[in-house]
This record gives sequence, structure tokens and C-alpha cells, in this order.
Amino acid sequence: MKTLRLGLIALWAAATAALSPAQAGTMFLGGYPSQLMVIDEAKGAVTQEIDLKTGLPMSMRLSDDGKLLYATTITTSGIEVVDIATRKIVNSFSLNTPGVRYRFTGGVADRSGRYFYILGTRIDKGVDSYRISKQQFMVVDLQTKAVVRTADLEPDDQKFSFRGALMLSPDGKTLYAFRDKVIVVNTADLKTVDHFDLAKPDFPGMQEVSFGGGVGRLQTPGQFVSLFETEDPYIHNKTFGVARLDLDTRQFSFTPIGPSPKALSGLEVSPDGKFGYTVAVIGDLGSQRCEFWRFDLDKNRALDKAEFPCRRRFYFGISGDGRKLYIYGAGFDVAVYDAKTLKPATAWELTHDITMSGMVITR
Amino acid sequence: MKHLRPINRKAERIDQAASMTEEDVVALQQQPDPKKPHVPMGCSLAFFPGWEVDAGGGTAGLCQPVERDIYDCYVTCFWPVQVADHVNYSPDWASNCAIATKDWRKLDLVFP
Repeated sequence: MKTLRLGLIALWAAATAALSPAQAGTMFLGGYPSQLMVIDEAKGAVTQEIDLKTGLPMSMRLSDDGKLLYATTITTSGIEVVDIATRKIVNSFSLNTPGVRYRFTGGVADRSGRYFYILGTRIDKGVDSYRISKQQFMVVDLQTKAVVRTADLEPDDQKFSFRGALMLSPDGKTLYAFRDKVIVVNTADLKTVDHFDLAKPDFPGMQEVSFGGGVGRLQTPGQFVSLFETEDPYIHNKTFGVARLDLDTRQFSFTPIGPSPKALSGLEVSPDGKFGYTVAVIGDLGSQRCEFWRFDLDKNRALDKAEFPCRRRFYFGISGDGRKLYIYGAGFDVAVYDAKTLKPATAWELTHDITMSGMVITR
Repeated sequence: MKHLRPINRKAERIDQAASMTEEDVVALQQQPDPKKPHVPMGCSLAFFPGWEVDAGGGTAGLCQPVERDIYDCYVTCFWPVQVADHVNYSPDWASNCAIATKDWRKLDLVFP
């Protein structure tokens, strides 16, 4: 009888776990000087630290199947690949040599896991000068650990910022660079084939880190959903809204929601894909105010908002189960908010200052 | 530059061309793209105010406490005079200090 009871309890527990729509996950955060912090979301504590050999992490990106984590580092322009299951580094190398340096802040791996696309510059050290290349799309071979193909961006796309997240279509034929416009690139020859007049909302101090969460939560494979803004050509009023980009067909739809605030973070999406969250920043310096905004992604409309204490610089994320919102950096703590009430819940103290690499959550 | 007056025809033409640019009619809300510097590598061309003041000349825009801001400025050369240059000269400056707010005394010394 006792065995039967235990069996029923085990069966009930398994069924509950299977029916559970989302669970708290494991969070990866970059830490100074050269760590990845592994954080248990349920406990709110660092459970493991992964030392990176190539230096300070500047970006993280989960593979499409969720099995590998790609981290790029700035100290020696490195790329490190972490196996999510074992949390071991399975590939690690630096692109820099004594005579050549690279500058880039992130990238995306293709589905084969062989090639890694980055956007950056190459610096060659000469006898009496440095030669700095134009900004280029580069393809890194993760097996030979070298840049194997490059192509300059078009002259109109040569902007100062290295920032600008990259996305790859599921068929691997198209690369998207999200900057002040969306640049569409044919991966076969790295030539720009199209531009979309949509920009990812961004502001100094809040880095482009929304891709870690937003992309990982896509309910429709091959589709990228995020907040974008556009402006009219005459008055230059900016309007923000939800854009859905079909990565294979290069088609996008844009549904305007309202006038853009001074700054808007990326979109974080709940696991069921129904709700989106962002942070709006109004004002600057001493008069700065920060608000969470919540959206209904089925109807593309704003639902509600709530003010929270601003940090001068911060990043925004959402928990694996979609129940918590995170405000983190600059510094060593994560402020946790309830995603339903948008009210503060708790704060976690970590073991390292958080880098600009963003947040990746696995379940 | 209003105290300068053109004294020959060429200077006059330059002055006219400059004033035409300045007095162009634009929509009230039009904001041209701000010109940003090209910083090829490292910090050599960047000069910003120090820790004492923010971009508006006050203190309200600084991180609280300011030590929260040390590391991201160390990486991006935002305050290159006050903070070491991670990319070019001081990659190990912070290697003994995981949390700047708590352990800033462990930061390395940098000598020119």
C-alpha cells in the first residue's frame, strides 16, 4: 500500500512538472574580470563560476537548440563556447595575434555550429602605424579558429558604433544586423541586399542585450519579434511598435503602438509568448524616470505600466518562468520585480560585478 | 566667432556659405544625427569629464555609488584619464577585484 501511495505521489509530481508551463531556470551572467556566473533563479544565488580563458565577457548567445552558449570576450577578442549541460568550456580561442587585433562585441553561430558571424574591425600593426579596416562582416571558423571570410559594410552603413545585434535565418542564407536600420545580408557573399527603415530602440547606458531573452522565447521558429521604432521623413517624430520579422522570407510587419519615449529597452517576452515587457526611460540625469511597460502581444497594445527607481545605467531581463523581471548592472546586484504586479520583490547579491554581456537563461 | 569679419572676397564667400548653413529652415522637431568621433582603438582620442561631474555638469547623473561605474568605463574607455585602459595597456587592472564597490582597494596601480 505504501509503495502504491509513493508511486501515485511520484506520478502526480511527474504530471505536475509536465503540465507546468514554465519553470525557474538557470541564469548566466558575465562577471568581472573574466567569469560567467551561473545563478539558480529559484534560489537567487550564484551556484557556479566559469572562468573564461580569453578575458572579459562582452556578449553571450544561446545556440538555437539551447545546448551551447557562445560568449565573446574583449580582452583578447576571444570566442568561448560553453556546453550548457556540463557547464564546461568546449572551445576557446582568441582571434588576436601580436600583429593583428579585432574589435567586435557579439555575434551569432550558424546552425551547424561551425561558423560564427561577427561585425567588427581589424587592426593591423605596422612598423610605424596601425591600419584600421572599415567595418566588416566577418565569418569565424570555430574549428580552425580563424577569420575565414570578410566583407566591408556599405559606405552608408559605416557607423561609429560596433553595437548591433546579429540574427541568422534558420536556413542560414540571410544575416540580419540591427543598427539604426536593419541591414539584410546574403551570407553566401556577405553582400548587403536590403535595408529596412526600422531601428532597435536603444540608449547610452542600456546596452543591446535584449536578444538573449527575447530570441530564446520565440514561439514561432524563424520569426523575430521585438520592439522597433520608426520615424516619419518630414517631422522626424519617432513611433515605436511591435515588429515581426520572418527571418527566412525577409518579410516584416510593424504595428505602431505610440510615440517613442526618450529611450526604450528591448522587448522581453513571457514563455507563453502572450506578454511582452520593456523599460521606458523618460528624462535625463536628475529628472530621469524609469517605467516598466507591459504589452499584449496578441493584440499589439500596451496594457499597463509602473515606475521603478532608476539606476543610472542598467540592463533589463525576464526570468525563465516569466514571473520575474530583472534590473541588473552596473554593479553586483540584481533587482527582482514581480512581472504581474510590476512591484519590487527582492534583490540578489552576486559574487562579481556584472559585465555588459547581457543575460541568458536556460530551462 | 562673431568678432571675426571677412576682409576679402574669398573670406566673404566663406562667411556667406557658413551663414547659409546655419540659417537653414528646419522643422521644429528635426534633430540631425549627432556627429560622433571615430575612435579607432583604445582611448587615445576620448576626453570626458571626470568622476566628479556627469555629462550635464552636475552629480545627479552619476552611478550611486560611483564605484558601480568603474568597470564598464574601464572596458569602454569612457573616462580614460581616470580609469585604466583595459584593451590596450592594463588588461589585468581588475583581476584581483571582483566587486569594485566592495573591493576597490584591490585594484592595481597603473604607472605611466
